[in-house]
Amino acid sequence: MIVQENHSIKLRPFLIRVFGVLLFFFVLDLAAGKFLETGLEKYYGLYTNAQVALVGHSHLMLGVDKEKLEKGIGISVAKYTREGVNVQDRKIMVEQLVDSNKEVSTLIYGVDAWSFTSEGLSKNSYSQFYPFLYASKIKEFIRNNASKTDYWTKRLIKTSRFDETLLSSAIRGHLGKWTNLKYGTVNIENLQRSIGKEEFRKIKNDAKSIEEFQKTMEIAIENNIEVILLYVPTIDLLQTAQPREFNRTIAIFEKIAAENKGITFLNWQSPWSENYELFYDPIHLNPKGQRVVTDSLITYLKQRNTLSSGKK
Amino acid sequence: MLFNSWQFIFLFSVTAVFYFNSPYRLRMPILLVSSYIFYMYWRWDFAVIMLLVSITNYLAGRFIANEKSRIRKKRCLLLAVAISLVPLFYFKYGDFFLENLNVLLSVSSSEKQFSYLNLVLPVGISFFTFQALSYSLDVYFGKTPVERNFVRFGAFVAFFPQLVAGPIERSSNLLEQLKAPRRFNRNYFLQGSKLFVWGLFKKVVIADRLALYVDKVFESPDAYSGLTLIIATLFFAFQIYCDFSGYSDMAIGAARILGFKLMQNFNLPYFSKSISDFWRRWHISLSSWFGDYLYRPLGGSRVSYIKWIRNILLVFLVSGFWHGAAWTFIIWGGLHAFYYFMESWGDVFLKRVGKVELKKSMVYRIFKVVSVFVSVCYAWIYFRANSLQDAFLITEKIFTDWSQGWFFGGSTVTYVLSWFFIMLLVIVQILQYKGYSSLYFSKSKFHPIIEYGWTVVLLLGISLLGLSSKSFIYFQF
Repeated sequence: MIVQENHSIKLRPFLIRVFGVLLFFFVLDLAAGKFLETGLEKYYGLYTNAQVALVGHSHLMLGVDKEKLEKGIGISVAKYTREGVNVQDRKIMVEQLVDSNKEVSTLIYGVDAWSFTSEGLSKNSYSQFYPFLYASKIKEFIRNNASKTDYWTKRLIKTSRFDETLLSSAIRGHLGKWTNLKYGTVNIENLQRSIGKEEFRKIKNDAKSIEEFQKTMEIAIENNIEVILLYVPTIDLLQTAQPREFNRTIAIFEKIAAENKGITFLNWQSPWSENYELFYDPIHLNPKGQRVVTDSLITYLKQRNTLSSGKK
Repeated sequence: MLFNSWQFIFLFSVTAVFYFNSPYRLRMPILLVSSYIFYMYWRWDFAVIMLLVSITNYLAGRFIANEKSRIRKKRCLLLAVAISLVPLFYFKYGDFFLENLNVLLSVSSSEKQFSYLNLVLPVGISFFTFQALSYSLDVYFGKTPVERNFVRFGAFVAFFPQLVAGPIERSSNLLEQLKAPRRFNRNYFLQGSKLFVWGLFKKVVIADRLALYVDKVFESPDAYSGLTLIIATLFFAFQIYCDFSGYSDMAIGAARILGFKLMQNFNLPYFSKSISDFWRRWHISLSSWFGDYLYRPLGGSRVSYIKWIRNILLVFLVSGFWHGAAWTFIIWGGLHAFYYFMESWGDVFLKRVGKVELKKSMVYRIFKVVSVFVSVCYAWIYFRANSLQDAFLITEKIFTDWSQGWFFGGSTVTYVLSWFFIMLLVIVQILQYKGYSSLYFSKSKFHPIIEYGWTVVLLLGISLLGLSSKSFIYFQF
């Protein structure tokens, strides 16, 4: 069967259709991209007058309730936490916060025994920064990490910078919904079995991560920001499974805090790491755990009494 | 090379520009070279298999056309079929036969066991083998003239828009079109682009999203409740449809831009009113291939009742085996044969009790559409399950295990979006069924602005919610 050639439409209407579609696409893309971008900034508390900023990954995300914290201390808080971000990513996040939020005086930086272990975290966590490609530092960071095709696609098409997690965060930013909750309680028997079989995330400190962390602290100090290294509790079984490595990492945080006046280390392993009712999984807290940690953080910040004075 | 990659867009654009701006004699070499680049981008060495299959069928076609003796023609055809099927059997079915041979040996208390070949399956081998074979068969049956230009024949077998996952074209359609000089047609460009975008949307937004849930559940079905397994099966039904029909749409769209009209491969299969109707709407190019080259040569329905049963059973079992070298696929084919017989006997029963009129009622028709869909979904369990044990376990749990709660997959957002896109797909398909929306280049009743606006929305959806490139399910066949 040979196809009958039907008459081709004239050049002008053809070009109008093709360029019309392209133009409409890019206009919509620009509008949607901008809408999502601002939503995401709101969600993370960027470009606000927040005086307190939380930076970390899912561990801190599920550990602290931003809204409750704000109510408790009466000060605006930016919660810039993302799943799977490593120490290098968090340095970028702190830089971004410093650039966008001039009022930040206290940085609550989430730490844990695995802070200097890149293994087990997302390998392409840089992709979570795609929406902020407009910032030169982020642009450079992504150019160094992403493939050329990805980099240029994201630059050309704004909406391609988002995935459904970022989309959901952007919409939540516009709606003002900041809750991060995971319901359920950790299965201790399964965990013990996994530990018995050596199937758990090992603590392996690498020099590069420690260096990046130190640089992050320097950035905060240079910008007169007081740092609280907050160890949101993780289950004690993981600590006892590798005590030497655990203590070695804790010693790094203690040393940094001892050497710098502007850095405080809050190790909240004790008294909660043994209370399994507070955990959703071995590392993350459930809503009950989040409540306990947030309440304690409010009490601590109130006692500290340095927040209202703002930047030194 | 995947359709949803910049590499493909680049290769396709370059090919189109050179193709339309070259003299006629250079066009076939351009298509042939592009097709081989497309294939070799994945693995260059497997292109040799495609070339050998092409040479075999090209020579067979010429020999059959030149030969006067009917017996020699037949021998030549059988030889070409055998040679063409060797790579397919070796790569695709080698381990399956060894596995079953080992089982037989162990049952017969023999200590001899064969080690597996563990071969990588050349992408699209079933497709290009069947496409090349259709030519030799057509020449033999006198349905198509012999092709004397090898470059054109090579381009027909390797035609890159439909090379790795069909539609399986016939020489009477595609080869004839390759002979005609074509000019760039703006209408075709617009039609092809729209279809390509819709196919891409189905693939990267719907199919790949549903796959996240489906893969998780089918990986360890023992860990999930009956309800979750039902949802995963339903999701798989839409995943495989969007994945495969999405590829077909992209293939047909890309070919349309180049000026070719490939055959329709899907025609709203989940609206089928019977199993035979389903197979007229699902993977049309394959079912018609089996109809033309297996079912009818065996006598079709013009044989004794027992032979007809044999023919139907054979076609469905072979179709299942074509899809994969595992018992799950064979059972999947067998289940469809079973549905087919049940339906046929049901019709006979209605006739005997004098209730044929019932078939015209709306309730009956709705019942049929729903029952066909549910039956097809049930068969998909065997198609998707990792093993027969898993398939039986899923079946058992669906009917007995209602103990555990809802499972939302890795992300609630993904889960909600999955349902949303299934609903969207169903709405679009209803509009296509009713003739409002375009289906396979049919005229849409919507205003062009709405149509182009819809294409922009799809593009935006792909950009925002498209998941990263993942191989198409049907590549493995």
